[in-house]
Amino acid sequence: MIASILLLIIASLLSLFFVYMAVTEKDLLKAVAYSAGQSITYSILLQAMSTPDIVMTYVAVSVGLYSALLVFVISKTERFER
Amino acid sequence: MLEALTYILIIAILGLNALVSIYGIIYGRSLVKKLISLTILSDTVLVAVIFAGFYYAYPIVPPVYQDLAGTGREFLVKHASDPLPQALVLTGIVIGLAVNALIAFGIIQAYRLAKTTDARKVVETLSGVEVTE
Amino acid sequence: MSRRILVLMLLFSATLIVSFTATIILNPATPSELKELAKYYVLNTINETASPEAVTAIVWDYRGLDTIYETLVLYLAIVGGLAIFKMSEEALLKTRIGLTLLTKTSTKIIALLITSIAAAIAFHGHLSPGGGFPGGSAVAVASMIIIPVFAAGTLIEKGISSTKLVAIRGAALTALGLVALLPVVRGLEIVTNQKFYPASILGLPISGSLSLYNLLESLAVASGFTAVALYLSIPEEAYKGGSSA
Repeated sequence: MIASILLLIIASLLSLFFVYMAVTEKDLLKAVAYSAGQSITYSILLQAMSTPDIVMTYVAVSVGLYSALLVFVISKTERFER
Repeated sequence: MLEALTYILIIAILGLNALVSIYGIIYGRSLVKKLISLTILSDTVLVAVIFAGFYYAYPIVPPVYQDLAGTGREFLVKHASDPLPQALVLTGIVIGLAVNALIAFGIIQAYRLAKTTDARKVVETLSGVEVTE
Repeated sequence: MSRRILVLMLLFSATLIVSFTATIILNPATPSELKELAKYYVLNTINETASPEAVTAIVWDYRGLDTIYETLVLYLAIVGGLAIFKMSEEALLKTRIGLTLLTKTSTKIIALLITSIAAAIAFHGHLSPGGGFPGGSAVAVASMIIIPVFAAGTLIEKGISSTKLVAIRGAALTALGLVALLPVVRGLEIVTNQKFYPASILGLPISGSLSLYNLLESLAVASGFTAVALYLSIPEEAYKGGSSA
């Protein structure tokens, strides 16, 4: 009981940290890394709510495919935001 | 008490995440930064939809029966997570990825034409209209 | 930099203080019971859809028509993206240099593992957590690591072109539409499951049309995102040579 509630609290606080860092980061590659971190914290949150279908889709799409897509886009455009 | 605190805390943090990512969409300079903020916003909304079906049960299990005969019906009604938001979000995640891939292709094409991903400069280069701060 | 951390600390403390005070003053009642609608789905999923998995039952049976239209949106978004990136295949063939042999061998092993797990997720989707969408995106992850390592030109030379992938996708979607439309022949509603399709074949539980939908949907999702990854992995220099500006 206490473990699942602690998991919810820690994952949600960490997600706020990662979202803030991703939005305010000027180096776009680092922003993608923070965005992947945010996805991992959301996956922990979803797993604590016991939704394995969503976790399977979400981890593959959000940690894997979104990061790859954004890294490809950055490699084709420019890395730093002025 | 701890349960109520966790509930309110998660609502507050999901709301803050949405606000921060909307800030990123509006004030982000680069189009890629706007796209990253957009993915964060869509993820936050999807997690909020899942959280709408959340309730406290110990233990909380997935809404899946162990066999085809349907044993453990009583246990599952008291302990299963809500299947309806899960079904709605499951398609939403994959559709969101496809639409964001379309936006990413658009950003790359804009970079080829304007040689920059800065949103204001892209508009200035492609349309010739001055954009004021 | 320091201002950034300061704002973050401010956000954290404001959230914590607001939620603590709100809890102490209001002390709201938290939900401790499943909602009535969800209770209906959990109780009736085995009788009405022959699937012990409530989520897959809702996705492809109770809300089946909705999901089929969403699949159409997915198709249109990916075809639109590929139309923006249209280029000749001669230009693609120039990019043929992949990474080193060690990387290629280990990538082959990892991609095989990911693909077999994805197949398990997709084909058992009507019995255990999983289904067409998770399986398809897991296959897409495998192709996303194969394509940069082996280079797009090598794959096109081996016969994996984006035209073929879009054709596979179209075929899978057509079959999906047929599976949905077939019950109309017998005068039933569109996307009917249990009244038309058998619950099991030769003792193998297939939950009517659910396993067919899962199989076809995973094919459609995987081929669509593989086509996207194929076009994204081509370096910008290849465009300046061949294709029309």
